[in-house]
Amino acid sequence: MHIEDGILSPLACAAWYGVTAAFVVPGISEIKQRIRENLMYKPFLAMVGVAVFVISAMHFPVPVTGSCSHPCGTALAAIIIGPFATVVISTIVLFFQAVFLGHGGITTIGANTVSMGIAGGMSGYLLWRMLLAVKCPLWLAAGFAGLAGDLVTYLVAALELAISLHGNVPLMKQWMIFFMGYAPTQLPLAIAEFAFTSTVLVAMLHRRPDLLPKFLQEKETRILQKRESEL
Amino acid sequence: MSNQVNASSSVVEDTRFFDGFTRTILAVMLFLLLVIFASGRYMSSHAMKGAGTDDKVNDLASAAARTGHHPFIELPGDAELGAFSVANFFCGVIVGHHWLKLFGARPQSPTKKPADN
Repeated sequence: MHIEDGILSPLACAAWYGVTAAFVVPGISEIKQRIRENLMYKPFLAMVGVAVFVISAMHFPVPVTGSCSHPCGTALAAIIIGPFATVVISTIVLFFQAVFLGHGGITTIGANTVSMGIAGGMSGYLLWRMLLAVKCPLWLAAGFAGLAGDLVTYLVAALELAISLHGNVPLMKQWMIFFMGYAPTQLPLAIAEFAFTSTVLVAMLHRRPDLLPKFLQEKETRILQKRESEL
Repeated sequence: MSNQVNASSSVVEDTRFFDGFTRTILAVMLFLLLVIFASGRYMSSHAMKGAGTDDKVNDLASAAARTGHHPFIELPGDAELGAFSVANFFCGVIVGHHWLKLFGARPQSPTKKPADN
C-alpha cells in the first residue's frame, strides 16, 4: 500500500491530503483528551507509533506467491489508542518511512494515510465494536478486526490507484486488477495479523487495562465480577 | 550470587541474562526468523524473486499511467539495510524506554513496612 511518488496526479495527491487532514484534526483532539484522562497515554502512544512504524516496514516472504509484503498494525492501534489518534501516528510513520526508508513517497503521504491509517484503522475498529456489540468474545473480535484492517488497507490502496489510473477501463475492473496484485500475498499476512492483534489485545488487557479505552475496562470488570459471582 | 540489585531509585531490578521476558521474546524472534528462513529457502529453490507486492503494484500502476514511479529516496545496495538497521535500532531504544514506564517493575515504596507476623 506504499504508493510511490510519480504515480498519482497532483490533483489526486492534493485530494487525499485533504481527506487525511480532515481526520488528523479530530485525531489531535482525541490525543489531547486521552492524555488528560491518563498521563501514561503519552508514552503508550509513542510506543504504539513506533510499533506501527516497524510492523508496516516488516516484509515477510510469502512462499505461496513468491513475493513479500508487510502487515499494517493499524487495526490494533485503533483499538488501543483510538481510531483518530491512529490516523495521526500513521501520517507520522508514513513520513518517516518515505524520508528514511524509501517506502512510499512524500506526495503520496495523504493517499497512503487514507488507506493504512484511516481505512485500515477505522474498518478494524468499527468491526471490532460491532462484534463486541453482538457478544463476540474479545479475542475473536480483535482478531477479525486485525484481519479486516489489513485487507481493507489494500482494497483502498488499490481503489486509490484505480480511481486515478483506470482511464477507459471500467473502474471496478481496474480496481480488482490492482487488488489482485496485493491480495494473494496479503491474505496469509492478514491471517497472521488476526493472531497478532488478538494476542496483543488480550495481553494488554491482563497487564495494563488502565491504558485501554474506558468501555473496555468496564467490560472486563463486568466479566471478572460475573466469574467471581459464579464461583 | 543474588540476581537482585537495589538501584538508587529503589527499583528492584533483575539482572539475569535469560529471565522470563527475554526467553519469551527470544522464542518469538526465533519462530519468526524460522518462518522467514523456511519461506526464503522455499522461494529460492523455486526461483521465486521475493519482490515486494508494493513494488509490483507500483510497477503495474506506472504501466497504466505511462509514467515512472520513484521513492523519495533511493538507497543503493547495502545502504538500504543500513537505513533499516539504524531505524529499527532507535525504534527498539524508544520502545524499551517507554516499555519500562508502562510495563516495568513498579518501584517499591521505601516507607512500606514489613508485614506484622
